[in-house]
Order: sequence, then C-alpha cells, then structure tokens
Amino acid sequence: MSSSNPSTNYAELQRKYLQELKHLEEEEERLVDNLNNLFNQKTFLEDKVKGVSKLIPTLKVIKHEAQDLVNTINDISDSSEKISGKIRSLDVAKNRVDECQLRVNDLIDLDICSQGVQAAILDSDYEKGAAHVHRFLSMDQSVLTKTATDMDNVSNIMKSVRTLQDASSQLRAIVEHKFNEAVNNEDLTSIERFFKIFPLLGMHEEGIKEFCTYLRTKIASVAEKNLKTAMGIPQSDKRYGVIYADTLVLLFEGLARVIDTHQPLIETYYGPGRLLSAIKVLQKECDVQMKRVYADWAKVRQINKKIQVVNEILRMGSSSSFGKIEKIDPKDLDILIGEITLMHYRTELYIKFVQRKVMADADVGIPNQEDKEKIIKSLENVIKDSDISQCKHELLSHYLRLEQYYMDESIAKAVAMDTLEPSQQTSSMVDDTFFIVRKCIRRSISTGSLDGICAIINNACRALESDYCEVLKGRLRQGYPSGYLDLTQAYNVLQTSIQHGRLQSGDTEQSRTAFITALNNSDSSIEYVDALCDHVMKEIEQALPKMNSRDRGKLESCLSGLSSVTANLKDIIDYGMQQLRNAAVKPRVHPWVDAFLNVSHHFTEEELSAYEAGEPFVQTLIMNLETLLSSFKDILTPSNFDAFTQVLTSEVTQRLEKIVMKSTFNRLGGLVLDKEVRSLAGYITATTSWSVRDKFARLTQIATVLNLEQLNEIYDYWGNHDGALTWRLTPTELKSVMQLRTDFKSDEIKRLKL
Amino acid sequence: MDDYKFLFKVVLVGNAGVGKTCLVRRFTQGLFPPGQGATIGVDFMIKTVEVGNEKVKLQIWDTAGQERFRSITQSYYRSAHALILVYDISCQPTFDCLPDWLREIEEYASSKVLRVLVGNKIDREDREIPTHVGEEFAERHNMYFLETSAKESDNVERLFMQIAEDLMKQARTRDLPRYDSNAQSINGRTSTIGDSSCCSKLQ
Repeated sequence: MSSSNPSTNYAELQRKYLQELKHLEEEEERLVDNLNNLFNQKTFLEDKVKGVSKLIPTLKVIKHEAQDLVNTINDISDSSEKISGKIRSLDVAKNRVDECQLRVNDLIDLDICSQGVQAAILDSDYEKGAAHVHRFLSMDQSVLTKTATDMDNVSNIMKSVRTLQDASSQLRAIVEHKFNEAVNNEDLTSIERFFKIFPLLGMHEEGIKEFCTYLRTKIASVAEKNLKTAMGIPQSDKRYGVIYADTLVLLFEGLARVIDTHQPLIETYYGPGRLLSAIKVLQKECDVQMKRVYADWAKVRQINKKIQVVNEILRMGSSSSFGKIEKIDPKDLDILIGEITLMHYRTELYIKFVQRKVMADADVGIPNQEDKEKIIKSLENVIKDSDISQCKHELLSHYLRLEQYYMDESIAKAVAMDTLEPSQQTSSMVDDTFFIVRKCIRRSISTGSLDGICAIINNACRALESDYCEVLKGRLRQGYPSGYLDLTQAYNVLQTSIQHGRLQSGDTEQSRTAFITALNNSDSSIEYVDALCDHVMKEIEQALPKMNSRDRGKLESCLSGLSSVTANLKDIIDYGMQQLRNAAVKPRVHPWVDAFLNVSHHFTEEELSAYEAGEPFVQTLIMNLETLLSSFKDILTPSNFDAFTQVLTSEVTQRLEKIVMKSTFNRLGGLVLDKEVRSLAGYITATTSWSVRDKFARLTQIATVLNLEQLNEIYDYWGNHDGALTWRLTPTELKSVMQLRTDFKSDEIKRLKL
Repeated sequence: MDDYKFLFKVVLVGNAGVGKTCLVRRFTQGLFPPGQGATIGVDFMIKTVEVGNEKVKLQIWDTAGQERFRSITQSYYRSAHALILVYDISCQPTFDCLPDWLREIEEYASSKVLRVLVGNKIDREDREIPTHVGEEFAERHNMYFLETSAKESDNVERLFMQIAEDLMKQARTRDLPRYDSNAQSINGRTSTIGDSSCCSKLQ
C-alpha cells in the first residue's frame, strides 16, 4: 500500500490526522461545557440538600401525630362496635315491644269486637258486625292462641275468639240469606249492601258468585225477551235476514255492559284481580243464551238441511247433472252466508273483549308472574270449553261449506253464461269468476277468523286450478281451425281436422274465436290472479292487524297456492300456442319458406343486380308474414301476440334452415342469402318488443359461412381470438354447410381444423 | 332469505287425541307437552332438515281431529305432498275410523300424495292394536307404515326424515323430464313416480 505512491500517502495521512485533531478539539470543547454545566448545578443541588435536611425534624413530628391518629381511630371503632351491639339489642327490644303492643291492641280489639259484634247483629247493623269480624279476621289467629296460652286468663280470650268465630259464621249465614232475600225481592239497594259485606267476612269468592248469579238472572230475562222479539219479526222486515246476528249483538252488548259497569264495583270492594271469577259465572249464562239463539237460528234457517244438500252436491261435483237433488241457487244463500259471517264475527269480537278485560285486570291486580300465568291459562280453558266457542266453530264450519258451494256453483254459472262482446279480447267468464272469488275471500275476511280465510283461499285455489283452468284447457283442446290461403290447402286442412275429430261441424269462424278467446282469457286471468293476491294480502292486514309471525306464515303459504294457479295458466297458454303453431303457423309458413327452393342461388354478376333490385323471395315472405301477423295482432292480448310472434319466428327460422340445407350456393348466392337473412331479421325485430337475435343465431351463422370469400377465412370467425364468434353450429354442422357451396372443394373442407 | 332447495307440505290427520300435535311438537321443538289441549283449526310449523347435503324445508300442518273443524282441515289436503294418517295403538276406535279417513283422502287429496300410516303411543302398556294389524292395513292401502311414540321420541325423527327423503326422490324423478319436455304435456306434472314403491315399509 505504501510502496506505490508515498507522496499521496502522506497527504492522505496528514488529512486524516487533521481530521482526528479536529474531532478531539470538539470533544474537548464539549467536555468543558459539560463540566461547566455540572459546576453550575452544584450550588443549586447543595441548596436543595440543605432544604431537605431542614425538613427531617418536621417529618418526625408528622409521623408521631399519625400514630396518635391511628390509635384514636382504633379506640373509636372499638367503642362504636360496643354501641352498635347495644343498638341492635335495643332494636330487637323495640320490635318486641311493637309486637307486644299489637297483641295488646289485638286483645283489646278482640274484646271490643266480641262485645260489639253481638250487639251489632242484634241491631241488624251488619256493616258494623262485619267490620268487627273483619278486624278479627285480620288478626293473626295463631299468634292469638299463643298469646292466650302465655297469659293467665286463657279462658277469657278463648271465649272472645269463640264468640267472634261464632258471630262470623252467624253473620255469613245471615248475609247470604239476606242477599238471597234481596235478590228474590229485587231489592237493588239491599243487594248492593250485602254485596259489599261479603268481602268483609272473607267471602270474596262467594260474594262474587252470588252477585254474578244474580246478574245472570237479569241477563237471562233480557235475552229471552230479545229472542222472543226476534222470533216474532215478520219476513217482510228488512232486518229479517240478519235478525239472529242482531240478537247475538244484543246479547253480547248486554253482557259487555254488565261487565263494564260492575267491574269497578268488584275492584273497589273486592280488590283487583278477581274479574275472572265473575266472568266464569257470567260465561255460563252467555253459553246458555248463545246456544239458544244458535239452536233457534239453525231451526228457522233450516241450516242442517241446507248443509246436507250442499254436501251431497259438492261430493258429486258441481258439473254432474244428478237430477235427484234439487240444487240451491247460490244467490239464495247470499243473505244466509252474510248472516253467518256477522254472527261469527260478533262472537269473535265478544271473546276478544272478555280476554282483554281479564288480562287488563290481572295486570293490575296480580303482580306475581306465576299466578298471572295461571289466570291466563284458566281464562283460556274457560273460553276453549265454553259453548260459545263451540257454536262459533259450528258457525265457521257451516260458513265454509256454504261458501264453498257458493263459489263453485257461481263459477260454474259464470262459465255457463260466458259471453263474448264483439271488440273484446276476453269473455265475461274471466271478469265474473274473479269477481266471485274476490267476493268470497272478502266475505271470509269479514268472519275475523284466520283459519276461515285460509280455508277459503285454499278452496279458491282448488276451484281456479281444477274447475276454471279445466274449462280453458278444454276449449283449447278443441283446436284452432286452420285458415286457408288457397283452396287446395283449405281442403287439406279441413280433411286433417275432420280426421282428427277436431272439427265436427260448421262454423270455423266461431271455433276460431272461441280458441283465441280462451287463450286471451288465460292471459288476462294471470293478471287477475296477481292483482287478487295483492289486494287480499292488504285487506287481511287491515282486518287482522295483530297477526303473529306464525299466522302470517300460514296465510302466506295459503296465498302461495295462487301462484300455482298462475303456473297452470302459463302451461295452458303454452299448450294453446303449440296448437296455433301446428294449425295456423306451420301449414302457411312452410310453403312460403319452401319457395326458396324455386330460386337458384347460383348468380352471375348481372343476375345478382337484377335479383337484388327486387329481392323477390324475402320480400314476398315478409309480406306474407305481415299479413299473418296483422290478422292476429288485434285479436290477441299484447303478451299473447308476443308469444305468437315468437312461435312464428322460430317456425320460420327452423324451416328456412332446413330449406337452406337442401339448396346449393355459389359465392354470390351466399351473399344474397346473407342479405336476405338480414332483411328478415330486421323486419321481425321491428315488429316485436323482444330480441330476436337468439332465434336467428343459427341462421345468421349459416349465412356467414356461405358468404365466405375463401374457405380459410373461416379462421377469422373460428378459434380463441377476439374476432371469433360464439358458435351455435357444431364443427360437423359447419362443414356440412360449407359443402353447400359448390365452389368449395370437399377435401379442403375436410382438412379444415375446427 | 331462506336457502332451501325443496319445500314440502306435510299434513297430519286422524282422530282427536291420537297425538298429532305431540308428534309435530316432538319433531319441530323436541318437546312433549303434557296436557295438550285439542287443536283448534290448523296449526302450522316449519322445520328445515338436511337430506344428503340439501336443505329441505318441511311445512307441517297439524290439523284438528274434531269433526267440527273438518271443513277447515279438508281444504289443506289438495296441496299436501305427504299425508300422515295417525291412530292410537291403545285405542281401537281410532283405528276403526281409518277407512273413513282414507275415503276423505281419496276425495280431497291429490292422487300422487305420499301416504303414511302411523300408530302412535307405543310407550303405552295397554296396546289394543297389534303391530301386524296396522302393518297389514297399510299394505292393503299402499301406505308406508311406522309405529311411534311422541312421548319417548321413538321413530319420530325417522318418520319425518323418511318422508323428506322420499319426497325429494319423487321431486327429482318428476322434475328431470319436466325441464326438457316439449311443452306438450299441459298437465305439467307427468306421473313418472312408480306407485309400486309405496308398498315398501319403513321398518
């Protein structure tokens, strides 16, 4: 290292040393600074140390004082411990004194009561007597006997107790007797007087029972009068049709009034939480009266006979024409069904009222959750086992039977009376049927019973899906009588139709209209079903606002049955479209498309320009299609017309594909085909709202292949590059299309790698 | 929101007090509620089960056995995929009523409905209908047969799972030809399920 260039080496060394020196100087400077700093701090620190050492004696003092404080606190805590023990024993003593005082008071009262009660009874001052007994009953009997044994004059106390016990049973007997007497005398003030005494004697349940039994007689007499009035009403009266519903309303309103007016009384004198006991008694009368009204109603309205007839007819199916049983005109049931729904709804309403009342009373009067649940359970059982619930279920059952009959028969009638107004696309049965279904479902909503609503929805689904759809399907099965373009074709079509038994006789035009109407009816029925679903859901939500999630699930499941009606209708339309395809589309489209074969697709340049000027094949085809489409445009509903155009398009494209495969082409012929396909696709796109690209995909690709300049141009469209098409043709199909070009060599086509 | 592949409606019928509600409760909630009151109208429960990695939603309709609810319960037969007819093995009258129930099923239910006969309450000592009698009845009427105890939870899970599996099998065979069918069958449903399979017993 040193050998190579000593002079530079020295310079380097010198520079290094200088640098080193500078470093050291800086270091020194820093150290001096540090020293200075420390020096400066020294005095400051010394001051601090001095200050601290001055504090030391003070701290010693503080320590002593703290020690003293601890001692004092310990002393205090000791003494307070002692005091609190004393206070505790004082407390116990005080409690004993209190208890003692209570006993003394009880004893004094016992004495007073035992003396007073007899006098009160003798004076017929039952309130006072009862007050004494009440005071006696509020004493703790076990304590009383204990006190007696603790004292010397046992006999004295026991004597008083016995006197009072005797007096209370005496009073109980008297009050019960007097109450009954008052009831017999219809002495309202006495009834109320003794009603108030019962709870004083600890006879809460008895009091309520006696009082409500009295109320029962009141209700019974009013109800009897109402029923008699109802039975006497002339048939001409405008309330005659709903008179039993009116009678029930009077009964329930009467009961509700009784409950509303007496509940505060019971609450004041007997305490809250006792309404259920009252309801239990009143419910018995309600049951008796409801059964009466129901039995009378069933007799007068001849309900059993009607149900029997209806059941027979329903079992046989509405369409069968059994002459044995005389059918009931559904219209005649209208009023009866209305009355039943009203009766059912009112009963439901009353039951809800009772439930609400008892629950509210239990909420106020019974704080214990367990007891409250017991009350709720007991209430449920009272209602479940009651005759009014039974009657309610019977009413619903009758309603459902009659409504089912009404719906089935009315729909059958609507179908039988089906008429088509000229210029209408659909006939009257659609409107009528859905009017009926909607009416029935609405009526079921007015019963207020979710089970009833669900059952009617289920029945409606059945009626629509089997009866109604069957009719539409049946009409389509009759087939569409083909129209004709020329006489030979008309003759052929007629022949095949007769052979297939589709066309029995005469009026082609009429059967054609019937077919198209059925198709349109099916389409518009789909709209009706959707609307029905929406409206029904809204109406039910309004009528039954407090549905829980399970009820809602139930309802939604039943409503979803309507969607299978829609599916059924869609199947029917599909079926009808296939019929149309076979009868109206195929026989016409085939000759039009087959005309393609009449044109040679081997063009020279001159022929090409002449042909292109007119495009005779495709223009004729378009014209024919136009005529066919326009004959259906006004008679089909828009969505049916769309479906029809689709059917027509696939028929045309499929047929044309077949025909093209039977032809041969030169280069210019391929060009013409490509243009023709474009014109056709353009025309159909213009007539419809949906995309035709899919239906034309194969045909367009065939035209593309036939329009190739040279064979290997196919690689512009085939393969995994950007310009490639999504092919609908398989490689084999593609090669057979290529074979149609007379100028493509067969072995070259075979060699193509696709 | 629910990701189930199949939804089937299963309807339970049979005399009052044979234990329909208890069977449903046992299966859907794992409970055996003693002192169950009579069902009013119809009750509705849902349980999603898994059959071979597929979620199947069972909609179980528990109907009231009492006569006066018949017009409500009958309306549910038509849309049922499976009907479970229940009797009480310790109560001859509930077995004697089976022909009446079958008549009702014939009248209201779809002909393709899967029908299962269930003898419930095998936990009881006082059996009145021997197993083979129930079995023979089921065989005669092309029904599945199973004896259960909702109380002891015997065969309950099996009953519903077997139904779910069977209905799924049915749905599969029924749906396959339906997808590529050329719209000619306007019934939509082609009855391809062999009725012969119905005879086989679950046991």
